[in-house]
Amino acid sequence: MSPHRRVAVTSPQTRLAHARRRHRTAWRPPTLDPAEVHEAVRVFHAQRSRAAVALGALSVLLLGLPVVLSLAPWLDHARVLGVPVSWVALVAVPFPAMVAIAHWHLRRAERVEDDSEPGTPGPGG
Amino acid sequence: MIAFFAVAPVVLVTLLVGLRGVAAMRTTSDFLVASRRVSPLLNSAAVSGEYLSAASFLGVAGLVVKDGVGALWYPVGFTAGYVAMLVLVAAPMRRSGAVTVPDFAEARLASTPLRKLAAVTVLVIAGLYLVPQFRTAGLVLSVVSGGPYWVGVVIAAVVVSVTLAVGGMRAATYVQAFQFCFKLVLFIVPAIWLLLSAGPAVRHEAVHPVEFTHFARDTPVDFGLEVTLEVHEPTTVRASDGRVFTIPPGEFRVEDGDTLVFPAGAPVPGVRGGAAPGGPDWQRPLLDLQDAGHPLLGTWAVLLATMLGTMGLPHVLMRFHTSPDGRAARRTAAITVGLLGVFYLFPGVYGTLAKVLVPQLYLSGATDTAVVALPSQVDSGAAGTVFTTLLTAGAFAAFLATSLGLLLVVAGAISHDLVPGGLARLRFTVVAAAAAVVLLALPSARLDAGVLVTWGFTVAASTFCPLLVLGIWWPRLTAPGAIAGVAAGLLGTAGAIVATLFGPPVSGWLAILVAQPAPWSVPLAFGTMVAVSLLGRPPAWSSAAMLRLHLVERRTSVPTRDRGRDLGHSSWSARRSSAVRRIIRRLSR
Repeated sequence: MSPHRRVAVTSPQTRLAHARRRHRTAWRPPTLDPAEVHEAVRVFHAQRSRAAVALGALSVLLLGLPVVLSLAPWLDHARVLGVPVSWVALVAVPFPAMVAIAHWHLRRAERVEDDSEPGTPGPGG
Repeated sequence: MIAFFAVAPVVLVTLLVGLRGVAAMRTTSDFLVASRRVSPLLNSAAVSGEYLSAASFLGVAGLVVKDGVGALWYPVGFTAGYVAMLVLVAAPMRRSGAVTVPDFAEARLASTPLRKLAAVTVLVIAGLYLVPQFRTAGLVLSVVSGGPYWVGVVIAAVVVSVTLAVGGMRAATYVQAFQFCFKLVLFIVPAIWLLLSAGPAVRHEAVHPVEFTHFARDTPVDFGLEVTLEVHEPTTVRASDGRVFTIPPGEFRVEDGDTLVFPAGAPVPGVRGGAAPGGPDWQRPLLDLQDAGHPLLGTWAVLLATMLGTMGLPHVLMRFHTSPDGRAARRTAAITVGLLGVFYLFPGVYGTLAKVLVPQLYLSGATDTAVVALPSQVDSGAAGTVFTTLLTAGAFAAFLATSLGLLLVVAGAISHDLVPGGLARLRFTVVAAAAAVVLLALPSARLDAGVLVTWGFTVAASTFCPLLVLGIWWPRLTAPGAIAGVAAGLLGTAGAIVATLFGPPVSGWLAILVAQPAPWSVPLAFGTMVAVSLLGRPPAWSSAAMLRLHLVERRTSVPTRDRGRDLGHSSWSARRSSAVRRIIRRLSR
């Protein structure tokens, strides 16, 4: 017997419990501390309004650009560096605009959360 | 030889990078979400690597050849999905503490039937998405190497399932992040080389397209599938056995496997259900689906399906669960928008060049191979071969990265949600699922990959998108409402798929709504969820469950000064939902 043999130190009950197949535990309703509710409601409302604005901007961009292109067929014949403007618009407009919306919304959403750092009293508390 | 040099390094590097991710794993969470230790930058590279599948690497350029410049709306929708994900889903979903999407459904609504239904939906979406990946891997390899189709399918399955079964999500993360950089370089460098070496005449024609009506030179066309051509004038062609014959005007059926050489100057025959590339409709920057004559509706339908579908793709959602907290998940989505934006600047270059150099691909329906076919048209020497190899390697990396994520959600759905089991069963499920997908992919060489993936997006858009959005932002959602909505979305899209396959031919706007059901199936799913939820009563803890998703994680366990006790250690009785309810009532008054 080697001197460094490792020995199980858990109780036989624990080892038995580990050996058995574990079934999922009963579901418990999620917890929210009553002291945090004010903060949660404030963050939820702030995030909801900001999300609505960002989503509105995205839909105006995505639903509006096809309308512009279909109402202005002359854009097919105007050219930038030899490429039709309407083709350029399909690549050069939506991607930078989406990056801008994403960055803008990220900053605003994080600012809402920064206000609720632990230790800062919420407006209701 | 090209196939060997393209595929062998990708396979080797995938396995090596995957090995780097192998670490001690004890729990399902280690296996499925890499112990939630993935930084936003690494995670967003992995999300992009997973997301840029064959549909993006090869498919978009092929669609430009087939359907016109309007096909560039697809990448716009693909990217917009991540903006929507950032705004609506990323942070709250991560904060739920779930591991998979069905897990999230159960955590929010406490319904086991809903969890099972969501798991089945995951399997449907992953199946629709995974079979085309394996199929295209087989096809590209057989085109490049001349070997049989099943070899490519089996190679893809073995590499993916070994990497996953050994390394789980951690290995998948490193592989996908690495393959994103790999794909980005292998897509951008050949594009620039093609533009520079194509010559001024090709560049000029690329932006001044002329309709493809006559063959410019002797053009061999390989028909991999059976195609019916509409011949307008008698055309003399040479068959692969050297026989020269004249096709009379009318319909002409080409058997699969035939190669016909059309002489220079011969008129281009028509293909049923498609206009020749380069015509005035081809040049319009809108998507006229099914040639229905409603380009605006067609474009909107595609944008809606791709954007909302991206938001509901289970393998993408699972990647967000690997972030350490909600804020990191949100940052991941924001960085992903930028990374995808860079990649998607280039499919248009390939598409417009392919229209000039290989327009005949639209005759055989093999437009998916346009990207790989381009370099040899520009340079028949060594440089062309090198770039063909690079692009094949990139395409193969695209299949691998996407299949890794999909196979992982399949394993998660089966042995975490449907039949919960331990780590050993997860590893086994990965291998078994890969084998099942190989069996499904072997007979589906003829399927149109783009159509299957589009259906996958549509199912995701009309099931998980409403479930997540309402679950996160609407406290009154009930479990019966969610089940009814997901079922309605599933049945609606299934009906549309059946109508496409077996239904009578339809035309006009109805054809768009049958081929691309998102414009009605998404509102149907949202409406059913809201209506059925309003009929019932949400449980008492419902508002608390929803609000908790928006609350910032406590980073420190410093006791809040003003309340004088440590929120992290407050007792269960102090968190009674009745107390929470009372406060919410007071606030909303």
